[in-house]
Amino acid sequence: MTQTPELLVGLDAIERTDVLALGSALTLPPGAVLFRLGEEATNLYLIERGLIALTMPMQIAGHQEDVLIDERVAGQTVGWSTVIPPHRFTLNATAPVKTELIVFPREKLLSHFTTRPRVGYVVSQNVAVIVGQRLQVFQAMWLRQMQRMVNLTNA
Amino acid sequence: MEMFLSVLALSLVGVLVSAMLFAAALPRPHEIDTRRTSDDARVIQAGRFFVDDRRRDIPAAISPVPLEALLLQLERHVRLEQAAAESFHWSPTPEALHMRTVSPLVH
Repeated sequence: MTQTPELLVGLDAIERTDVLALGSALTLPPGAVLFRLGEEATNLYLIERGLIALTMPMQIAGHQEDVLIDERVAGQTVGWSTVIPPHRFTLNATAPVKTELIVFPREKLLSHFTTRPRVGYVVSQNVAVIVGQRLQVFQAMWLRQMQRMVNLTNA
Repeated sequence: MEMFLSVLALSLVGVLVSAMLFAAALPRPHEIDTRRTSDDARVIQAGRFFVDDRRRDIPAAISPVPLEALLLQLERHVRLEQAAAESFHWSPTPEALHMRTVSPLVH
């Protein structure tokens, strides 16, 4: 992870070091589950190396299959439901390859932000950027699919 | 002798009448063709009864394929759609929103 992680953009070097010190390292072997849809979200994750696949269950030929929805790579964040109510994961997260992450417990983050409002503001803005991007991308994907349905209906 | 001739004549009349009735009961060749065509049509119609003509444009890619292959197709589709949606995110125009995809699930 050479560039500044998306979660820490806008913080100075000392602030970044302080925030990173709140986390602990976690290494997932290939195929390991990071979190499951519906679980309580208590940790925010920063990917240091590897890949996290975000999936949702889909019914295919009478079976439930996890279908890829999104992929996150080094420098990106997963698990922002931890800092956004109702604090429930809405996707499954797995590591298709060996993946190293930094785990930030919600309580530690919030307590740190309480004493350092500027850091809390910048990190919250970064989370808003991540959520906003996901919203706009999926909004566009949904509309493209709707357009195909309209085209099929009028064909 | 008279009685014998009478019985013979009556028998001949009976055979003739039976033959005529039998001939009348048999279908004529052109009638057989017509009936077969209509039966075939009924079979074809019955076979297409549940076919929704509005769905004839569904691509062959969604036809029954091995589950693993379908999941790979879905993954590829999602990645392509996401790339198209992300380009809309960075440069939002109607053209970018409706950019064509090469996903086999769409074509």
